[in-house]
Amino acid sequence: MEVTLPGRRTLTARPSGRARVLLGLGVALLLALMWSAASGVLGLSPLALLSGQVDELGFQVWWQLRLPRLLLGVLVGAMLAGSGTAMQGLFRNPLADPTLLGLASGAGLAVAIWIVLFQGSGPVALYGQFLAGFLGALGVCVVVFGLAGRHGGSAAVFTLLLAGLAINTLAGAGGGLLAFMASDEQLRQLSLWGMGTLSHALWRATLAASVLVPPALFLLLRSARGLDLLQLGEATAHAAGLDAPRLKRHVVVATSLGVGLCVALTGIIGFLGLLVPHCLRLWLGPGHRLLLPASMLGGALLLVVADTLARTLAMPAEIPVGLLTSLLGGPYFLYLLLRRSPRC
Amino acid sequence: MLILHRAGFVDPPCLAPIQDKVVPGELLAIVGPNGAGKSTLLSLLSGFRTSQLGVVTLDGRTIEAWTPATLASRRALVAQQEPMGFDWSVRDMVALGSDPEPALVEQLLADLELVSLADRSVLRLSGGERQRVMVARGLCQLMARRHDGAPDGGLLLLDEPTSALDIGQQQRLMRRLRQLARQQHMAIVCVLHELNLAGTYADRVWLMEEGQRIAGGPPEEVLEPEDLARIYRAELQALARPDGGPAWLALTP
Repeated sequence: MEVTLPGRRTLTARPSGRARVLLGLGVALLLALMWSAASGVLGLSPLALLSGQVDELGFQVWWQLRLPRLLLGVLVGAMLAGSGTAMQGLFRNPLADPTLLGLASGAGLAVAIWIVLFQGSGPVALYGQFLAGFLGALGVCVVVFGLAGRHGGSAAVFTLLLAGLAINTLAGAGGGLLAFMASDEQLRQLSLWGMGTLSHALWRATLAASVLVPPALFLLLRSARGLDLLQLGEATAHAAGLDAPRLKRHVVVATSLGVGLCVALTGIIGFLGLLVPHCLRLWLGPGHRLLLPASMLGGALLLVVADTLARTLAMPAEIPVGLLTSLLGGPYFLYLLLRRSPRC
Repeated sequence: MLILHRAGFVDPPCLAPIQDKVVPGELLAIVGPNGAGKSTLLSLLSGFRTSQLGVVTLDGRTIEAWTPATLASRRALVAQQEPMGFDWSVRDMVALGSDPEPALVEQLLADLELVSLADRSVLRLSGGERQRVMVARGLCQLMARRHDGAPDGGLLLLDEPTSALDIGQQQRLMRRLRQLARQQHMAIVCVLHELNLAGTYADRVWLMEEGQRIAGGPPEEVLEPEDLARIYRAELQALARPDGGPAWLALTP
């Protein structure tokens, strides 16, 4: 894919250029958050929010519904886009993504199994769901990795996509089977959860994400230099000082933890992990020290905007945000496949 | 100095134990037919695979005892061509992994005739251009960290760096490598298919056959036309050089 954007090199090379990009994305995210906080069935003006001139109902809506939802959107968006970036770096392939590789659906199947077969109540239900999501994602990650390791070079991309297809199909069938076995109440819970939405965001879920997502993001950010080195191929990267097995462990654990948790909380929100790093790489170049944090900010930005649209486009009804991102991401992915240079 | 103390591999691809050393200031060529174990030997020298028989030491310590970062400042590898996933610019690729001074990158770009390509994506290069970029990157890794107090110029390992170069580029690269060995006290190990390049530029040659190093020494001793014809199963013609070096080898029609 040809990139001839002027100034890209200096942008990635100079620390001040990096800081400017991240600052810009941060400001954009902040503006999106203010817009989102004010939009909805109950319009709340940003000025009134800032100056505290909001009535009791408005405050409750804002504090109990919008704030946890905004925070969850930021965390999930950052995690999905960050995981996508890291996986693309790890597989040295711009098509790797937690949804395409089956990570998200593996986590989804594990969560569905938990809901139908082991359902507890209260916090047990929530944390069991996290654990199931994490284990599901980890299992898929290990399988996909094993396959990618066995078929090096040009075969890897096809193997990976086919493995993802197989896992997605399997998870779909498993999900169908579980839906068949489920009681009416479980069925309702399954379908509500599975649509990919931030609408169940309450403080309990958001707090769990606030505790678990930042360490996963931190682990990914620390892997940035290693991911750069890995682009040289394993032997050269080793000679350049990379401990590749350690890097892989870090990325796999962080991605599985993060994606598993996100899926357990919000269902499958597709294509965020593919879309965001792709667009940003065109602008910023492939260096992960800038691309990873920028993707995290960009993913948070995109999910907050998409979720606000999902909440407000069909007011008072709500479109699942996963539907919206898939509608956006699906065509973009096809476009990528069409114009991808045969060499990469 | 890199020393092999009867080092080798038992697991395939195997490598019979080798006792020898690579000293700073020399250009060592590794030659041999396809599948003779040249790249396997390189993975032993770089520490990518750990010796299963004896040990490999670099500057007095076993290669596993160095931390990856320190080791990276003392030896670099230019592997055979790897598929590239992303569109790094040539300049960013040369600097990748070593955080060098910009001046060093510019100097290496000039040295390897890459200045006009500096902002181009590595996905848009020809095979030979990409090979020169990767050589520049390997050199950058060694030269960016010279202030680490290393006693010499470090160890540069190259796997067939000339395979996609035209003859002019081959000559300039081999001359440059020899000059780096002499002036910067680098130890340079270079897997080569072109035997005349090995004979012309190398100080010593190791000859590999079926996972064994069957000869090692100055080119005029190792590159014996009759042995080579047998090992490569090729019909060769040997032409004497006016300066008395190892014979030129040509394929008979």
